[in-house]
Amino acid sequence: MDNNKFVEVKNLRKVYDNGHEAIKNVSFAVKKGDLVCLLGPSGCGKTTILNILAGLLNPTSGEILFDGKSVVDVEPKDRHIGYVFQNYALYPHMTVLQNVMFPLVVGKNKKPKADAERIAQKYMELTQITELADQKPENLSGGQQQRVAIARALVQEPKILLMDEPLSNLDARLRLKIREEIRALVKSVGITTLFVTHDQEEALSIGDKIILFNDGVIQQDDLGQNFYLEPNNYFVANFVGNPVIDNFKVTKIENKLKANDFTIDIADLDQSRFKRTLADGDYLLSVRPENIFPALDGLLQATVDDVELIGRERVLKFTNDETQARSLVNLEMPIKHGDQVKLKMRLDRVFLFTPDGERVY
Amino acid sequence: MKRFRIGTIFSYLILFIFAFITVFPFIYMILGGLMNFQETTSIPPTLIPHHFEWGNYAKVFAKAPFARYFFNTVLTASITTVVSLFNSLLGAFAMVNLRFKGKGIIQIVMLSLLMVPGEAIIFTNYNTIAHMGLLNTYVGLVLPFLTSIFYMYYLQSYFGSISETIYKAAMIDGASDWDYIWKILVPMSKSGLFTVGLLSFISGWNSFLWPLLVTNEDTMRLLNNGLTAFASDAGSETQLQLAAATLTVVPILILYFIFRKQIIKGVVRNDLKG
Repeated sequence: MDNNKFVEVKNLRKVYDNGHEAIKNVSFAVKKGDLVCLLGPSGCGKTTILNILAGLLNPTSGEILFDGKSVVDVEPKDRHIGYVFQNYALYPHMTVLQNVMFPLVVGKNKKPKADAERIAQKYMELTQITELADQKPENLSGGQQQRVAIARALVQEPKILLMDEPLSNLDARLRLKIREEIRALVKSVGITTLFVTHDQEEALSIGDKIILFNDGVIQQDDLGQNFYLEPNNYFVANFVGNPVIDNFKVTKIENKLKANDFTIDIADLDQSRFKRTLADGDYLLSVRPENIFPALDGLLQATVDDVELIGRERVLKFTNDETQARSLVNLEMPIKHGDQVKLKMRLDRVFLFTPDGERVY
Repeated sequence: MKRFRIGTIFSYLILFIFAFITVFPFIYMILGGLMNFQETTSIPPTLIPHHFEWGNYAKVFAKAPFARYFFNTVLTASITTVVSLFNSLLGAFAMVNLRFKGKGIIQIVMLSLLMVPGEAIIFTNYNTIAHMGLLNTYVGLVLPFLTSIFYMYYLQSYFGSISETIYKAAMIDGASDWDYIWKILVPMSKSGLFTVGLLSFISGWNSFLWPLLVTNEDTMRLLNNGLTAFASDAGSETQLQLAAATLTVVPILILYFIFRKQIIKGVVRNDLKG
C-alpha cells in the first residue's frame, strides 16, 4: 500500500454520448489524509471527475485506484466514499437525524436502529447540529444544511470524502467560516478529501495541494504557492491571482523584447529562469500587479484610468496597447485618477509565454 | 370603492348561477329519490318532497342486487387502482432515474400509444379477453386497466421535478433502487401518487363501456351497468331510478369531499410544473 497514492487516477478519459470530450487523459494521485482541491473554471471537467470517482458516471477509458485497488467496476455504495453535493441533496421529508442516519439504515450494511442513532449522534456532535435533530431541512439555513450534508457523508466512515462546490450556495462571510470548519473537520477525522471548487481563493486557503483543470486537461498539479510563483503556463498565470495578472504583447528582436511603448533588454532578465533559449518572434510578457509599480526610472509611461481601493492596497488601472493592466500599490501612495505615472517591473518576477501559452521564462 | 363593490356582487352572482346549474341536478336527484311517483312526474315539478320516502331505497335493493354491484365496483376499482399505481410508479421511476439502451425509443412508442383512444382498441381487447375465456370474470374486468401510460407520464413529470442529486445521494448512501423508491421517492411524491390513485379509482368507479361488453351476468355487473339495467327493469318508477342513481354517485361524492384538498393540490402542482 502506497500512502502517497491513496487515490490514483490513470489516463482517465470521458467522452459523453453527444461526443463532447469532457476529460482528456487525466492522471493524478492523492496522498492519504490530504485535502486536495480540484480547481478550474466552470465546464472544465472537475465535477465530471468527481462523479467518475464516486461511480456516478462511467469513464470512457482509464483506471481509478483507491488504496491500490481498482474501483472502476465497483458500485458507488461499495466504494467507501462520502459525497457532499453542491445543493446538499438532503431528503426533504426526513428530519436532520433521519437524514444523517439514512446511510446506516438502508442497503446491506444496515445497522440496528439504536446503533445507527448512536453513530449519527456522534457525527452530529462533530458538525454541531445536535440541537437541529428534529428539524426538517426546509427550516435550516444554508450553513446548517451544509453541516447536515457533511455529517451524512461522514456517518458511513468512508475512506474518501468527495465535495462538489460545497460552499457555492453560501454567502461570502459564511463561506469563509465554513471553509475553515471543513478543513479543521476533515483534518480531525483524518479523511482523504477531494474538494471541487471554481474559487481560487478557496482552493489556495484550504487545499494541501491543488489540481488545476481547464478543458478536461490538468494544467498544474502542485502546492498552492507554486500556482502563484511558478505557473506552468499562460492559463495558470491568468487563472490564479487577484487582481489578475497583466499581460503585454512583446516581440523578441535580437537581444530586446519590444512592446508597443517600452523595450526590455534580455540581459536584464534572470538568465537562470529561462526554460529554453528564446527564438525571435511574438511572446506574452505577464507581470503580477504587485510586481509592476510606479518609479521615477520606470520603463513605461501610463495614465491612471481608475483607482480602486481593496483594503490595505489600491489597484491602479491603466491602459497599455489597448489592453487594461493593473498595478498594486500601497494605500498611502498619493496617486489619483488621471495622473501620469512611470511604471517599473521586477524583471526577476515576470513570466514569458509563447502565443500558445507555453512558459519560456 | 363603489365600483369594487358592484364588481364583487356581479362576480358572486355569476358564481352563484354557475354553481346552481352545476349542483342542481345532484340535489334534484337526491331529493327525487325520496319522493313518491306522483311528485317526480307532476307539473309544475315538486322540489321538496312532502314526505321523505326512505322506503324507496329498500325497494331498490329488493328489485336489483345493488349490494352485489357495489361490492363488484369497489373490488374492481380498488384492484385497478392499486395495481396500476404500482406499475406506473415503477415505470416512471425507470424512465426518470435508470439509464438503459432504447429508453428514448420506448418513450416515443409509449407516447404514441397515448394518442390511441381507448375506444379504438376496445374490440381487440374484447376478442383477447373472450379468447382467454375471461368473460364474466373479475380478471377480465380489470386486466386492460392494470397499466396506464397516462398515469406513468403524470408521475414521470412529478419524479422529474425531484433533483437528480437526491437519487445520486441515495446511491452513495448505499440505498438500493427499491430502498430509494419506498423510502425517498414515494414519501416525496405523496400528493402526486394520491392524485393518480384517486383519478384511477374514480375512472374505475365510473367505467361503463368495458364492463358492459365483458359481463352479461347479473352477479358480475358493476354499478353503472346495473343502473342502466335497473332503469328499464324499474319501468316508469322514476323515483326508484333516482334513488338508485343516488346510490351510485354518493360514495364517490363522499370521496371528493374528504380528499378535495389533496385533489386540488395534486392538480395545481402538476400545472405549475408544466
